[in-house]
Amino acid sequence: MLTFAFRKVLTLVGTMIGIAALTFVITNVAPGDPARLVAGPNATEDMVATIRTEYGLDKSLPEQFVVYMGDLVTGDLGQSIVTTRPVLEEVLRYAPATLELVFVAMALGIIVGVPMGMLSAVYKDGPIDHVTRIFSISGVALPAFWFGIILQLTFAVDLGWLPVSGRLPLVTRPPQTVTGLLLVDSLFAGRLDTFWTSLQHIILPAIVLSFPCLASILRVNRAEMIEVLQSDYIVAARAHGIASFRIVAVYALKNALLPTLAMIGLRFGWMLGSTVLVETVFDWPGIGLYAVSSALSSDFKPVIGVTLVIGFFFIVANTLVDLAYAWIDPRLRSA
Amino acid sequence: MTGPLLDIKNYRLDIGTFDGPVHVLKDINLTVNRGDTLGIVGESGSGKTVLVRSVLGIGPRNSKVVGGGITFDGQDITALPEKDWTKIRGIRISMIFQDPMTYLNPLFTIGRQISDVIAAHEKAAGHGVSLKSTRRARTEELLDQVGLPNPAMLFDQYPHQLSGGMRQRVLIAMALSGKPDILIADEPTTALDVTVQAQVLDLINSLVAKLNLTVIMISHDIGAIATIAKRCAVMYKGEIVEQGLTADILSAPKHEYTKRLLAAVPDIDTAATKVAAQPAVAEPEKPGVLLQAVDLKKVYRSQSGSEVVAVNNISLSVATGEIFGVVGESGSGKSTLARMLLRLIEPTSGDIIFDGRNISGLAGEPLRLMRRHMQFVFQNPHSALNGRHTIGDAIGEPLRIQTAMSRRDIEARVEALLDIVQLPKMFKYRYPHELSGGQKQRICIARAIALNPRLLILDEPTSALDISVQAQVLDFLQELRAELDLTYVFISHNLAVIRQICDRTIVMKRGEIVEQGETERLFLSPQHEYTKALIESGRKTSRAANLAAPAGS
Repeated sequence: MLTFAFRKVLTLVGTMIGIAALTFVITNVAPGDPARLVAGPNATEDMVATIRTEYGLDKSLPEQFVVYMGDLVTGDLGQSIVTTRPVLEEVLRYAPATLELVFVAMALGIIVGVPMGMLSAVYKDGPIDHVTRIFSISGVALPAFWFGIILQLTFAVDLGWLPVSGRLPLVTRPPQTVTGLLLVDSLFAGRLDTFWTSLQHIILPAIVLSFPCLASILRVNRAEMIEVLQSDYIVAARAHGIASFRIVAVYALKNALLPTLAMIGLRFGWMLGSTVLVETVFDWPGIGLYAVSSALSSDFKPVIGVTLVIGFFFIVANTLVDLAYAWIDPRLRSA
Repeated sequence: MTGPLLDIKNYRLDIGTFDGPVHVLKDINLTVNRGDTLGIVGESGSGKTVLVRSVLGIGPRNSKVVGGGITFDGQDITALPEKDWTKIRGIRISMIFQDPMTYLNPLFTIGRQISDVIAAHEKAAGHGVSLKSTRRARTEELLDQVGLPNPAMLFDQYPHQLSGGMRQRVLIAMALSGKPDILIADEPTTALDVTVQAQVLDLINSLVAKLNLTVIMISHDIGAIATIAKRCAVMYKGEIVEQGLTADILSAPKHEYTKRLLAAVPDIDTAATKVAAQPAVAEPEKPGVLLQAVDLKKVYRSQSGSEVVAVNNISLSVATGEIFGVVGESGSGKSTLARMLLRLIEPTSGDIIFDGRNISGLAGEPLRLMRRHMQFVFQNPHSALNGRHTIGDAIGEPLRIQTAMSRRDIEARVEALLDIVQLPKMFKYRYPHELSGGQKQRICIARAIALNPRLLILDEPTSALDISVQAQVLDFLQELRAELDLTYVFISHNLAVIRQICDRTIVMKRGEIVEQGETERLFLSPQHEYTKALIESGRKTSRAANLAAPAGS
């Protein structure tokens, strides 16, 4: 198990280097002269040349690549043109908000999706099954921005139950930063009222973000459960007198979880990407919103930084999924 | 205690399908007394599995009892509600299954699975679940009872770490955990190797004696039935066509179907009645060597660096027109060898010479062309055909890949091939699921001979088929060889089949040839210990041995 984990971590490092190289290539094939862009429309040739030297753009591509990778390793993601602050610092400031949103959405997807998939499989072709299937198809089909606006209109504007957008009201002083996750930090600080307010703020965006993910988890888990429930060892467990509930909830679920886990890993990456949209709709101060506002002002270093960070979290999530696989399935451990 | 332990009266069961109900069980009458050993023999689809599963209340979905009933120990269990089953299932009636590979949950340890069963029984009995350590002790005791070494270590192992025979013992231990009155054994030996089969049957026999078990065993292998069951019932198309003492049925079958079934069983102690394929005139010169393997070796390396030698320096030569047998148990390397001969698996070292040409170095186009002359028939025809392609597509595939024939020519050739394998031309429009196992295997053979190959490698071509179908396919293979001048390499774990059709045979064990020679000589005077052991255990389940044994001994 330890060597397995070690190998996985090595793969993680390799993939990270691959992503870095890829983003470098993409920024360099993209049309346009960054130096000219930075210098602005009224710059003279001299000014452009100065900026080119300053940013190291006069060097050959391989040289630039070495410098770029060196900067990455030392944690230097460059500077934002708009705010003139280091990208890393800004990304780190915005990342916790996004992660908090993704974690809550993912938890929602798993807590609701897995049991619904199980129910659907156990009562296959019954009324429960039909309802969950309609539910899951709408989950995949509804566009996030539309769904988000509908929820805002209904629950925030009309009913007034929940806030329209943002992470905390302006008047509320955020709790002392420990993890950056408001839900956790407010509990650390012992401020239940802040916890409650931030929970109210996160519910709607989390639902929008998790709905497609929940739907696909549900569908995969349903299909797997149906398959597993027909397998020989389930017949054997019944014949040996094990209670039906235990068979479904313990024996079959563990087997069905394997493909569901793979789906969760993939969906995690998808969610990080989707935050760009959801954060815009809900004005959620995360890296998605940061990337959008940077892109709109042609500020590309932050966009690359966000790409790298999302890539990093995605790979970490999938490595965790791989480890969970091995934890669940003994056959993978010895392989 | 009066009355039979299990009484099935006029039992009729339908399964609802898309095209209306299918009568799966028709008027079954069967009684089992305490201490009985009853065998139910029949082919796949005869309804025997549905019958015994109904006794446990785990019949197929959509099934419906339309008449009669089942009484167990005086209690009517025909329409028992699910909650009442918990007192019977696994406790008073328990079951062991056909394929120990798939009937254990791969994600839980052996110990966990057995102690969970024990806990479930304790719960059903009304007294609380005992301590983990108590259940562990009981589990280890059960594992010991079924003859498994080192139960304490086994407790924490997972199913994939065990051999097939060990897993079957684990399943038996699980079935015994409730001290059942009746043990139902559903084809308990079918998926096992010959020597392991004999051991498992011995175990069941000893348990019957020791625990005063009542056993119902179903099998398509009448030899296995004969070793266990004193009484026997023959099922055919959902009906019991004959029942009585096993010895009587074996020696004097009354029903037409039973006679056919018995005639189809290949007997390990009967010399081959080989079709005199080559007429004497056609054999003036000594046939040349078609296929030769020199020092063939295959080593698998695991990621942890350990090496497994699957095939170790095997040399053999197959003469033109010969049926060359390869016999051995699972894990002996026979399938790896067969696949290497066709270069479907790359040998680690060694040479393969086909028709005087060394093909071990071939790659790309020349290798592809060479494959026309050598074809492979797989063990399981059910999985060797793509369910989404018609039979015509399946047979035509090699023609489309390997030749420049026009569509019309391919159509004609497919029809001709169907004719050769004795199936109607219209079959080309059908899909695999519409065909029986025997028909599917014929389709696979038709596909293999589509390009007029000279060599067919048959990997256990009959072991997934019913016995009567097996006999037909074997006969057909012999005719085909004579007709098309084919050479076969025939792989099997079934010694009786090997004896029936192979000219020369090699016996493999752990990747090496332990003995080789004329098939008849091998059977009459085996030299190597392993060959003797194989024949001995094959004989144990063979019908002849049981008949020859004096009654009551």
